[in-house]
Formats: sequence, C-alpha cells, structure tokens
Amino acid sequence: MKRRTKKLLLNWRIILLTLFLIGSIVTLAVRPLTFGIDISGGVALVAQTEHPVDTKTMQLVTDSLQKRLNTLGLRDITVEAQGDQIVLIKVANVTSPEEANQIKSVIESQGVFYMEFAGTVFGTGNDVEYVGIYKINPDNSWSVPFRISKSAAEKFAELAKGKAGWPVDMFLDPPVNSLMIVPESVYKTMNSSEFNANAPEAPTLLERITKAFNISVVAYANQSADEIVKLAQGKGRIVLVDVPGELQTQLEAMNITVRYVPRAQGESDHALIVRVLGLYGPYSLGEGLTVGEPQQDVQITGSAPDRLTAEQEASTIYTVLKSGSLPVKLNVVGMEFISPRLGEGFRTQALYAGIGALITVLLIVYFHYRKWRIAIPVASTSLFEAIIILGFAALIRWNLDLPSIAGIIAAIGTGVDQQIVITDELLGGEKTTRISRRSSMLKRMGRAFFVIFASAATTIAAMSFLLVYFVGTLKGFAFTTILGVLIGILITRPAYAEIAKYLLGED
Amino acid sequence: MSKPKSKAKPTAGDAVRAKKQEKLSFLARMEYRKMIMYPLVVFVIALILLAVNFPTLGIDLRGGVVVTAYGVNANPDELAKYISDKIGVDVRVESFTGVETSGVRVYAPIGTDPLRIIDAMKEKYPGAEYTHSEVQPTFGEIAQQQGIRALAFAFLAMAVVVFLFFRNLVPSLTIIFSALSDMTIAVALMGIFGIELTTATIAALLMLIGYTVDSNILLTTKLLKRKEDSIDKAYLSAVSTGFTMSTTTLGALLILWIISTSQTIDNIAIVLIFGLLADFMNTWVLNAGVLKWYLTREAVRGGKA
Repeated sequence: MKRRTKKLLLNWRIILLTLFLIGSIVTLAVRPLTFGIDISGGVALVAQTEHPVDTKTMQLVTDSLQKRLNTLGLRDITVEAQGDQIVLIKVANVTSPEEANQIKSVIESQGVFYMEFAGTVFGTGNDVEYVGIYKINPDNSWSVPFRISKSAAEKFAELAKGKAGWPVDMFLDPPVNSLMIVPESVYKTMNSSEFNANAPEAPTLLERITKAFNISVVAYANQSADEIVKLAQGKGRIVLVDVPGELQTQLEAMNITVRYVPRAQGESDHALIVRVLGLYGPYSLGEGLTVGEPQQDVQITGSAPDRLTAEQEASTIYTVLKSGSLPVKLNVVGMEFISPRLGEGFRTQALYAGIGALITVLLIVYFHYRKWRIAIPVASTSLFEAIIILGFAALIRWNLDLPSIAGIIAAIGTGVDQQIVITDELLGGEKTTRISRRSSMLKRMGRAFFVIFASAATTIAAMSFLLVYFVGTLKGFAFTTILGVLIGILITRPAYAEIAKYLLGED
Repeated sequence: MSKPKSKAKPTAGDAVRAKKQEKLSFLARMEYRKMIMYPLVVFVIALILLAVNFPTLGIDLRGGVVVTAYGVNANPDELAKYISDKIGVDVRVESFTGVETSGVRVYAPIGTDPLRIIDAMKEKYPGAEYTHSEVQPTFGEIAQQQGIRALAFAFLAMAVVVFLFFRNLVPSLTIIFSALSDMTIAVALMGIFGIELTTATIAALLMLIGYTVDSNILLTTKLLKRKEDSIDKAYLSAVSTGFTMSTTTLGALLILWIISTSQTIDNIAIVLIFGLLADFMNTWVLNAGVLKWYLTREAVRGGKA
C-alpha cells in the first residue's frame, strides 16, 4: 500500500500538477488578480472611426486618445485598436454615471482641428507640432505656447501681414459644408463684430465660416421644411439651432442628414454659437506676427476673471491643441458603465457561483458512482484547474472580465466531462482477469485520451479564430477557454488519470 | 495487496451503474430508423420556429440604451409608466432577482440619455446602484457581422478537426450535423423563452461546440474503435458515461444560473442548458442511430466489423 502511494506521489504527472498548483497559489498571493471593467467597475467605450483607416493612422488615433485622456487626469486607461475601424477604451475607477458620460463626451468632442484666419484655413491639427505647458499669471491671464509646422507658419505670415488685432479662430469639428438655420438674434450676433477681437473692420464670423468651411447661415423665419431643403442644395447636412423641433422630424423624413442643437437653459447667443461651431477663440492677433515673417513658435493668450476660470480656459486650449491632431473623426458607438460597488457584488457572486457549481459537481458525481473516492478527486481536480487558470491569468495580468469567467467555466465544464470519460473507461471491463485487465486498461486509457485530445483539439481550433479575429469581448472568452483546455490536457487530466487509477485499485 | 479494498467497494457502484444502464437501455432497443427520424423532426421543427420566431437581438447587436438598477424592487409596468411620463420617452422595464439582490433593467430607444433615466429613478430609489450602457446601431451591425463570422469560422474549424480525427465521412458528417442541430435547437428555444441574442449568448453557442464534440467524439470513438464489445454494449457504456457527463454539467450550470445576477452569466448558462438538452438527443439518439445503421451496413457488406 505504502509503495503504491509513494509511486503515485513520485509520478511525474502528479509532481507536475503539484508544482503548477503551488506556483499558481504563490502567484495569486504575490500578484493579485486584475479584473475587467465589468467586474471592477469603470467605463468601457467603443469608438468607431468615420471610415476604415490604415494601421499607421490607427496608431495615431490611439496615441492621441491616450494622450488626451491622460491630460484629463484619468488613470488606468487602456486604449486598444481592434481592426481598422474600432477603438476600445477602458477607464477604471470611474465611480458615477455622470463621470462616465463626461468621458464619453470628451472622446466624442475630440475631432478634427482647424486654425482659420480671415476666412482661410491655414492649418489643421496635423500642423500642431508641439504644445508647451500652459502658464497662468498672477493677474489671471494665461498663455499656451505651441509650435506650428513651417508651411502653416508661412501661410499664416502671408495672410496676417499688417492685420494686428484681427481675430484668429480655432475650430474643433465645425459643421463643414452645411446649412445652418438659426434664430434671428443668433444670426445677427454672428454677422456683427462681436467675434472680431480688436478689429471691427475684419470680416464677420459669418463671413469667415462661409468662406473657410462652406457653412451658410440662414435666419429662421418660419420657413417650411421644403424651403429649407431648397436652400440646402449641395450641402452635406442641415444644422438646426434652437428652432422648432418638428423641423427635425420633417427633414429626417425626407432622408436628409440633420443635426439638431437645442439651446441649453440660460445659454446666451454667444455661448450657443461657440458650441455649435466648436469655436475656440477668437484670439486677437498680436503685433509681432503681422510683419510677414513666418514664425513657428506662437502662443495663445487670454485672461479670465479668476484663477480657476483661467486654469480651465488654458487647460481646455491645451488639451484641444494637444489632441486636436486626430487624423479622423471618432464616434462613440457603444459604452458600458459599471459602478465599482456593483462590480464588488459580481466578484463575490462569481465566487459563490463557482463554489456552488463545484459542490454540485461533487454531489452529482457521487450520486452517479456512489463513491466519494471518485467524486472528491473529480471535484478537486476541477478546483485545481480553476486555481491554475487563475494563477496563469494573474501571472500575465490578464484582466478577468465576465466573458473570461464564462470561458473558465466552459473549460472546467469540459474538464469534468473528460474526467468522467476517464473514470468510466477505468471502471469498465472489471470481470476479466487481472492480466488481461491490465492490457485492456491501457487500451481503455488510450481510447479515453483519444476522445480527450480530439475534443480539446476541436475546441481550440474553434476558439483560436475568436482570438485572432476581433469580436469585442469574446476575445477574453476565447483566451480563457483555450488556456483552460490546454492546462487540462497537459496537466490536470493526466494527473487525474493517475489518481483515479490509484484510487480505483488499477495499477 | 490492494485487491481486498478495490473489490470491497465497487459492488455498490456497480449496482448503480447497472441500474443506470438498465434505465437507459430503452435507447439501445430503439430501432435506428426511428433514432434518425425523431431528432430530424425536432430539427425541422426548430428551423420552422426560427423562421417564425427568431430570437430578438440584444442591444449590443441592435443598438439601444439600457439602465440597470440594483437594489430596486418594483412593479415593472408601473415603473415603466413612471419613467416614460417623466422623460417623455417610451421605455420597457424588466425585473430580475438573484440570491443577494434584485433589480430592474430599463430599456430605452437609442438617443435617449441614460442619465435622465437614472435621475428620474433616483427620485424614487435614491439608494439603488445604477449602471448603464448604450450601443449605436452602427456598432451593433459590426458586432452582428463579427458574431456570425465567429460562429461560422468556429464551426468550420470544428468540422475540419473532426474530419482529421476520424477520416471517415459518415461519422464526421453526423457529428457536424449534430452540432448544427444543437445550436439550431438552442437558438429556437431562445426565441421561445424570450432570451435575446447577444454577444454573450453567441459565446454560449460557441461553447456548445466544445460540449457537443465531447459527447459525440466519445460515442463515435466507442462505437468505431470497439474491439471487445458488441455495438449495443459499447453504446450502452457510452450512453451511461454521456448521461453522467450531461447531468453533471447541467447541474453546475443550473447552480450558476440561480446564483448569478449578471445577465451575461445568466444568459450563457441558460443557453448552454438548452444546448446540452438538445445535445443529449442529438448525440445519443441521432448520432447513435446513424452509427448503428452505418455499422450494420458495413457488417452486411462484409466489412471489418
């Protein structure tokens, strides 16, 4: 008896299992598991580029997104490109739905950046080469230094010659090539010198955007939808600003792209215009830049009534400049927010569910064989398998999300199935003599492992497509399934076979 | 030395096993024509059900807004009316319960601001825990395509590997068909029970491929590679193993389904339960029937059997 036990314990399969088990427990102790957003809490966003892009552009997009979110002071951010159109953004430690929505709007507002002067676009986000740290002065004035490309600087020098005090505008995602329908008062404000910085003689904002972006502005005077459509001939879309909402439905029914911008409560005409156009500025052109000499190092200055506002204004410009170089527009097409407290609940639940499932397996296997010496090894092998998978996940810092947990369940489920196959093969053919039983046992084990390898191979083959191909969250599922199946066939199943042979008296 | 011990206990287990085999022996006595026909009829019914009542797509495949509130115990209809009145958008409310908490899910059309729903609900249930998600239809479309592609490729990969392992047309095709039928029946049942097709349930259908081949490969191996037993005996030993496998997995899944309040885990568990039930029929009746027919034909032809 003792010799058999010793032989079992010295079997390399058992040793392998023990080593992996100890290794996993140690790993889990020193390097705790990390969880996905859907368990630890946080927000996951899926953004889609306006059109498919190449790998290089995608890299630019993810870099700039990462930078932008970092400047917002968010931590634990991952930005990951999937395929040629999808960017997955995960931000942990987000505690309120409001905060989650804010992140969404940040990503969405990240757009294509234009610098315009006197109705001519002289640079885009790609021309911003470097943005310096902004400065707040004791008198609450602020400045953001940045460097523009040589070509933009040359173009600008030519345009700006002798035009001190003229307005320089910056836009983030203006409604290019569109017809804007605005209330009378808004129209008047746009067509006045309100947006002209220190140069009333410069073209009005309305003239500038018409020339630069082909945006026509029309004052709303109860025009019918048909009349508006006529006015919008040749434009890409219609932007309705603070006009009766039914126009939107009517125009949409006519299959026209419409953006509807209602006025926020208490919003002034000025604020509304700035918001609709994505306008930053206008900034007054300093004298130094009007002599016709191209200058790449420029700065935007402004002043605010108090330090906090100054800080806000400067940091907004800073982030816009810094991240404005997005080569393509992004839309947030999906988001999911899980509060951290809930995530906590999920985690304990997953634990309970796992323990519950394990006990169920134990009881049902006992019920089938009426032998604890089968039921206990089967259930504990599953437990070992789970520990090793988790240990491995901790080792490579795999973020366990719900689909990953489902994958572990799948792997353990097939694991139990396969242990039952082994057990039944071992239990079969008991009536034969011992010698023939021995040889037939080998045959039976061979058959059991043929089944196991065949099903493992099919599962891995089926899942590896998921791993390579993007299917959002299914990646985690595929990964843990494959990992579990591999650990099963390489480590736990062979060890279980030895243990079962020992316990069932086959030697 | 070990003999006394190993002899003493098995008797009880043997009796259980013998009983189990006896209970399942009605399957062995079934005529193979019927064994093939009944599951095919079920498959056709499932196809018809799918044509009439395909499961609805979840918001992650179709687009939409969902707000989940935990720690809320409310009448869904009343709550839906309350929220709809409050925000002026029609919403649908579903309640759910778990072991620890209960809650509601509020579904709203795309474009609804989830924060407004949360604000409206917070007035009534300030202590609840809220999560929300929204998916644009464009992304839903991408996810749909990817899901279909994942299923198709996984299925093809499975078929290729099965062929490589058995190198025998009839048994391989039967395994593949059996997997297809499992999935079809599972999806048809989803339609009946109102379970939505989501990325999570697609994951479950993919898992099903793994579970399906397990039992089918077991059966096929036992019947094709059997040397010492008759077809019926090999079948019975396989089916009793399969029965143990299925009930164990079903039990574990049932527990998972009961304990978890996560919709993802719940849906995966229930779809797997559907699929495993279908698989029991498809493996032990359909696949077994085809193999019996195939082996007797081989024997008549003077094959190796």
